[in-house]
Amino acid sequence: MFRDHVKIAVKNLRNRLSRSLLTLLGIAIGIMAIISLMALGEGMQQAVTGQLSSLSDVVIVSTGGGGFASFGGGGSTGEYFTQRDVADIQRLQGVKQVSTQLSGAGLAEYNGKTTIVSLTGMDVGVMRLQFATQNLEAGGFLSEGEQNEIMIGYSIAHNTFDTSISIGGRIKINGAKFFVSGIFGKQGFGGSSSDTLVLMSSRDFQKLTGQSNISLIYLRVYNVNDAESIATSIQTTINGNHGQKDFATATTMTSILKTVQSIIGILQLVLVAIASIALVVASIGIMNTMLTSVMERTREIGIMKAIGATNLDIMSIFIIEGILVSSIGGIIGIILGVFGSQGLTLILNSFMSMGSGSRLTPIITLMSVVLAVSVSIIVGVLSSLYPAWKAARMSPIEAVRYE
Amino acid sequence: MTKDVIVTQNISKTYGKPPLQVFALRDTNLEIKQGDYIAIIGPSGSGKSTLMNLLGCLDKPSTGKIFIDGRDISTLNGNELARIRREKIGFIFQKYNLIPTLNALENIELSMGFAGVDSQTRTKKAKQLLEMVELSKRLTHKPSEMSGGEQQRVAIARALANNPSIILADEPTGNVDTKSGDNIMRILEDVNRKGETIIVVTHNMAIAQRAKRVLRIQDGEVREDHV
Repeated sequence: MFRDHVKIAVKNLRNRLSRSLLTLLGIAIGIMAIISLMALGEGMQQAVTGQLSSLSDVVIVSTGGGGFASFGGGGSTGEYFTQRDVADIQRLQGVKQVSTQLSGAGLAEYNGKTTIVSLTGMDVGVMRLQFATQNLEAGGFLSEGEQNEIMIGYSIAHNTFDTSISIGGRIKINGAKFFVSGIFGKQGFGGSSSDTLVLMSSRDFQKLTGQSNISLIYLRVYNVNDAESIATSIQTTINGNHGQKDFATATTMTSILKTVQSIIGILQLVLVAIASIALVVASIGIMNTMLTSVMERTREIGIMKAIGATNLDIMSIFIIEGILVSSIGGIIGIILGVFGSQGLTLILNSFMSMGSGSRLTPIITLMSVVLAVSVSIIVGVLSSLYPAWKAARMSPIEAVRYE
Repeated sequence: MTKDVIVTQNISKTYGKPPLQVFALRDTNLEIKQGDYIAIIGPSGSGKSTLMNLLGCLDKPSTGKIFIDGRDISTLNGNELARIRREKIGFIFQKYNLIPTLNALENIELSMGFAGVDSQTRTKKAKQLLEMVELSKRLTHKPSEMSGGEQQRVAIARALANNPSIILADEPTGNVDTKSGDNIMRILEDVNRKGETIIVVTHNMAIAQRAKRVLRIQDGEVREDHV
């Protein structure tokens, strides 16, 4: 019997093809909006997560309440950590590897022009991790054992001196010669920019300046789950060392990741909510079309009842019709959504130059497809329920007499 | 002795409430036997359509009881009436009332579908029926592609599909020419000879005189019942 219902429903839809297609288009557009916006949100989520999660076992300790702000740049509070702080951290259980970031100023000379730059020294092995989210314009990261090599930020390379500096360029810092082996790309946004960075190995830094002003302590833990508690005990220890309540701030990557993820999650929800409006409008469209169709087919409904169709038969014919329209619309919407999200990303990418240089790629998850399909089926059922009930309730005599 | 297919006991159909109550049908008692061939005649507004709707389980009487094959149907709900309609009654309407989107074969199969007959049996039976009404060459034609007479023959085939106890025909020849009308009546009479109960509502005397029994209805009452 179900097959007969489907057959009748299909024939009815085919009989009013243009109207069916227009109704279907409404659903398709609604689903397309949802799919493409969800894909975009997922793309954002994964891009950020991907960049940050490689650092999830990392804890950064900075001076002052600045926290994350000083990451990537140099500490600028004028206060520095001591060797004792570093030793204390190393002694903590669960800490895998500790490295420090040194900060100071130096006199740089290139092509006859001299200027003051801020210098940053850190362990070569840590650089790659710390600047993982940063793309390189040219060259590569420093490697272990090489001396007198530096990496410079975009504006040091292009704006500070009269001529641009390229890979292999020679800069004199405090009288010592350094070769440029890597240039960071333009960061674009963000306060503590790496654009003015002059980065060298800790050893070179100490040799050059004779100082070891530790502005940032950078450590990794064995177990990601311990990161939070280790961060707390570091804060307590260092604050105790300096006799100050807010001397140090230890930030875990996981907590940053969580915050960012929840912000994107909310954004995603808002986007989908907006897209849902289109779907609501579309379902009203289905209801409207179906009500018209019930009116037009009054006589037909009467005949079917006269030859033995029950109310349930009539209802199921109309509900199947609604489901067919909405689910075909949903499938078309998913296909359109795949293309739509590509197009949307293309537009977004051309408007925003992402700081880290990573381009947004839309990600269509199985979840969003399943969601779209089930939402469209539910829409089909809900919007055809009232017309179907109206049809089923019709009296067979009046319906047969209806002209 | 043949059994009663339909028995009505004091059935009335009224519209509105007293004192403005209108009787469409008043205290009607009928006994219709298996194999009867009855014509119901009367002027328009006489109540013959009301009687037809009641006998066809399309409507329920205001008072009184109707027994179809011994079962009182006056207390049944809509879905139970639908079941009675598809098992016991075959309808033939003046305006054929085929489903316009379905072809001849599908129209006949549909009523068997509602009765839950499997699709193989359905197709076989529908083809047999169309052969019987001499439309084997019109299996896949839609109603709009057939003449009035042909459509009415499809409707007869549809009415017979579920082996009903009664065939109810409401002005079956009202919309076709005399020759087709005659053809339709001959088919119905053939069916009657095979034992089917036929009830024809008409105001065409020539049609009525072919029946074995004529009921004349006026002002909601059966005035004449001659065999």
